Amino acid sequence: MISRRVLFAIPIFLFIYMIQEAFVVQMRFPAGGFSIILIFTLMWAALGTPEIGALTGFGAGILMDLSQTAPGPMGQWTLVMIAVCYAIAFLGYGDDNLRANPFSLVFLVAGGVIASQFLFLLLGLLLGQAIGSVQQVLFIFAGTAFWSAIITPLILPVVSAIHSEIFGTKNRI
Amino acid sequence: MRYGGDNRGRLLIIVLIVTSLFLITLDLRGVKLIDGLRTGTQTALTPVQKFGSWTVSPFRNFLSDVTHLGRTRSQINKLKDENDRLRLTLQNRKTADAELNQLKSILDLAGTGGYKVVNAKVISQGSSTSFSQTITIDAGSSSGIQSNMTVISGFGLVGIVKKTYSDSALIQLASDPEFKIGARVARSQQIGILGGQGTRKGVLQLLDNSSRIKIGDVLLARGSEKGRPFVPGVPIGYVTSVDNSPGAVTPTADVKFYTNFSTLGVVAVVVSNPKNDPRDALVPAKPAPTPYPTVTIYATPEAVSPSPTATTK
Repeated sequence: MISRRVLFAIPIFLFIYMIQEAFVVQMRFPAGGFSIILIFTLMWAALGTPEIGALTGFGAGILMDLSQTAPGPMGQWTLVMIAVCYAIAFLGYGDDNLRANPFSLVFLVAGGVIASQFLFLLLGLLLGQAIGSVQQVLFIFAGTAFWSAIITPLILPVVSAIHSEIFGTKNRI
Repeated sequence: MRYGGDNRGRLLIIVLIVTSLFLITLDLRGVKLIDGLRTGTQTALTPVQKFGSWTVSPFRNFLSDVTHLGRTRSQINKLKDENDRLRLTLQNRKTADAELNQLKSILDLAGTGGYKVVNAKVISQGSSTSFSQTITIDAGSSSGIQSNMTVISGFGLVGIVKKTYSDSALIQLASDPEFKIGARVARSQQIGILGGQGTRKGVLQLLDNSSRIKIGDVLLARGSEKGRPFVPGVPIGYVTSVDNSPGAVTPTADVKFYTNFSTLGVVAVVVSNPKNDPRDALVPAKPAPTPYPTVTIYATPEAVSPSPTATTK
C-alpha cells in the first residue's frame, strides 16, 4: 500500500523539482528567494506520518543533491531533509490542533526551512565548506523565512488536496 | 495522541540515514557514479532550463525593475542627463565619438587582453538557499568550454567554469565563499589571495607582511600555469578599505568586485591563454577630473572704491 502511494508521489516531486530548476532559480527574487522543492517537501512531511516524512525527505534530498548548484557532496541535503522532515512530521502527527490550522502549518514549514538551512550549513562546516560572512548567512535566513511564509499559504491548499488524494485522508485544508 | 514509533519505523529511519551517510562518503571519495548522476541530471535539465529562461525573462525583468525601483529612477535621471549631453555632442561635432564610449563591452576587454573567448548567455542563477554563488550559461563542452576556464564580463572577472555539460556549464562566481584567486596589485606588483564572501565584496590577504596597499588600488588576476583556471591580467576589483592592524600576520583589505554579479546577462569564457601577459593593460582608466572654473575676489579695505580682481584656477 505504502509503496503504491510512494510511486504516485514520485512524479509529483519530479515535477516540482523541474519547476524549481527550470523556473524558480531563474527568478532573481530579492533577499535570496526561496526553494519550492524545500517548501513542498516540508509541507508534505507535515501532513504525513514520521516514517512517510523521513521517506519524503530522503527522496527530495536526493533530488536536491542532484542539482548542479548543490555545493556539498551527494547526500548532504538528503541527510538534512531526512532529519528535518521526520522532525516536522513527528511534531504534527496526532496533533489536529497543529495540523488542521493553516497558520500553524505555515509557521511549522517556515521554521522547517530555517532549520534545514541551518543544519545544511552546520553539516557543510563539518565537511570543511566555507560559508561566507555571517551577515550574508543571516540575510539569507531572514530572506528565506520571509519568502517561505509568503509561498506556503499560497500552495498549501494544492499540496493538501494532492496529499489527501494520494493518501486517502478526508481532512483537507 | 503523540506518536511513539515502532521498530519498523525506527529501522526505516536508520536505513535512510545510513544510506545518506553512505552517499556522502562515496562522493567525498570521488566515486565516478555520483558525478555521472549529477552530469546526467544536468544534461537532461538543460533544455528545460533554456525553455524556462525564455519563458521567465519578461517576468524576471519586471521583478528586477520593481526591486531596483529607486536605483532605476536615479538611473533614468542619469541616463536622461547623459542623453542630453550626447545629443549636444552629436549636434556639435557630428561624429560617432559619443557612441564609442557606450560601446564598451566584453569584447573590448577580451581584445585588449588578447584572450580568445566564447560568449554565452546566462540561463540560470544558483539557488542562494545552498549558500553558494553560481550561474549556468548556455554554452558547454560542445563550444570548446572545459572545466577551470576563466569567465569574464565587460568589467572584469566573473568566476571560473566549475563543471561542463554538452550544452551548458556551471560557473562558480568570484563572490562564492569557496572561491579563491591569486591577485596582484596593479603597478606595485604585490601579491595576495582574494576570497569571495557571498556578496560583491571580497577579502584580500597579502602574502608579505611588509606589503602596503591603499584604498583605490586595482587588483588583477595573477594567472595560473597555462592560463587555467585563471588567465593573467583580468581586472578583479579595487580596494575599498585596508586593515593594517598590528596584530594581523599580514595586511588584509576589503575589495569591491568590478562585476555586478546580480545583473549578469552575457559573459565570456576564455578558451585559450593569451600569447603575452597583458600585465597592467586592462586596469580600468580612472575617470578624468572635470576642471571647475573658480573666481577669487580680493577686497582691499583701505581702498575707497574696491575693484574686484578676477583670476582663474
